[in-house]
Amino acid sequence: MERRDRRFGWMLSAPGLLLLGAVVLFPIVWAGLTSFFDYTLLMPGYDSFVGIGNYRMAAGQGEFLHSAWITLLFVVAVVAIQFVIGMVVALALNDARRGKSVYYLILLCPLLINPVVVGLMWRMILHPTLGIVNWLLGTVGIAPVNWLGAPDMAFWTVVLVDIWHQVSFMVVLLLAGLSALPTEPYEAARCDGATAFQRFWHITLPLMRPVIIVTLLIRMIFAIKTYDIIYIMTRGGPGVATDLISYFIYRRAFVSLDLGQACAMAVMLLVVIAGMTAMLWRAMRQVGE
Amino acid sequence: MRSARGAALLRHLILGGFSAVIAMPLLWVLRVSLTDKATAYRLPPEIGEIGLQNYVEVFTAFDFTRWFGNSVTVAVLATLVSLPAAAMMAYAAARFRTGGWPLMLGVLASQMIPPIVLVLPMFLVFTTLVPVPGLVAITIAHVAINLPFMAWIMASFFDADTRMLEEAARCDGATRWQAFTRITVPVAMPGIIAAGLLGFILSWNEFLYALLLGNHSSQTLAVGLASLETHAGVNIAPLAAATLLALAPVLLLLPFLQTYLVKGLSLGALK
Repeated sequence: MERRDRRFGWMLSAPGLLLLGAVVLFPIVWAGLTSFFDYTLLMPGYDSFVGIGNYRMAAGQGEFLHSAWITLLFVVAVVAIQFVIGMVVALALNDARRGKSVYYLILLCPLLINPVVVGLMWRMILHPTLGIVNWLLGTVGIAPVNWLGAPDMAFWTVVLVDIWHQVSFMVVLLLAGLSALPTEPYEAARCDGATAFQRFWHITLPLMRPVIIVTLLIRMIFAIKTYDIIYIMTRGGPGVATDLISYFIYRRAFVSLDLGQACAMAVMLLVVIAGMTAMLWRAMRQVGE
Repeated sequence: MRSARGAALLRHLILGGFSAVIAMPLLWVLRVSLTDKATAYRLPPEIGEIGLQNYVEVFTAFDFTRWFGNSVTVAVLATLVSLPAAAMMAYAAARFRTGGWPLMLGVLASQMIPPIVLVLPMFLVFTTLVPVPGLVAITIAHVAINLPFMAWIMASFFDADTRMLEEAARCDGATRWQAFTRITVPVAMPGIIAAGLLGFILSWNEFLYALLLGNHSSQTLAVGLASLETHAGVNIAPLAAATLLALAPVLLLLPFLQTYLVKGLSLGALK
């Protein structure tokens, strides 16, 4: 490649790189820096360097570990359930002839909806005494459920709401993968008398592997970031039952006012996300071959 | 033949049930938004009087106009700043391999960073070092979401071959810049617009930055709606109307975006 081509490329990239440096790289460095200081909003300032003190403190803290554990449970639960539902719906949609575009349009809707709106909507619907869901359950003789008030229930309620909001993501991506599969293996399998399940297990799943991995990884990374519906629906409660990591760090920073510790926790979260991004990067290359 | 028909029936049962679960909550909120305040609470549900009074009340009872205006301002500004920079970066990466894979990995990683990580240092910088108006701070933060997303999506658009056209233009004496602005950009325009709209939606739906970096006068729709929850005595009927009004712009964009949505959601991995 010509030298002038290369120079032109860098000139074109310069504004974007400068912006990225200013709004992404610089804040990360700043967060890293703050994480080594005893910086609180009551006594803001960079005069007491504590080294890895904040990291030590965080890692030895029951609340933080609880939040990390709850987040892991949440991510595994939503992603696993969304994957199963998403796969079933995508398979049905892939073979559907009539009504396909109508179904597709309906399922796209939640994906565009503001998470705050999703939270408000479901609070209204799941209200213990005034909500439509409990009333409907009552008509078939089921006692009203305290959706957001009981610790165990609240966790699963948040899981359910996230599934409603994001399951279509799985459908859309898996469907895109399914519709790109070659047809020859299926014809051969049909000649050999393979059942529908055998075809799915021995042909569809192996061929879909790269797409599935990319889809799961993207969804997991985004599930870890879940903040908005927690803020709207439970504020991490009751107690700390739904205290997902993003909300926990937010509380540490803006309720406990301990920015130094919050930054240390944010950096740890970032390391986890970076690891998953590296996996995603490799998986994406496999999809592109 | 019989089993084929059975399979088709099963498919429509699955798809119909799924679509119903997706659509029912939205329809219920729509119904609540059209009833008067007392009827909205009544169970079993009554039809009552259907009207648009809640949609009118939204504008008088809440600061809806300002929230809406702020959301539009932030989303438009963040998109206008990000889009040209992202398009040029994506083009350079696709055509000249500028920055190679480390740059692309950096762009991918930037999109994956949890907002809670970036919002802490941004909060510190905007409250101590460089105090800026709330809307500016939120716009800057939204560039951090929009720019890497758009650059990543568009890199795959420019892979498609406008190369021949560019070379022809170069032979006719056009500079590299002219070939890019007069040949490549017009050809790629539908994709660029789609990337811009997707970025607009990201910004429109964003909550955490808008909550923490703004103040009362810079509340966006998401922040304003969230604040209603904490006010005592908010009626669900106007609240339902307000939430649906917040959705309207995004749902109106859906038909234009459908073809690009898969690419956007899968971060360009799938078509």
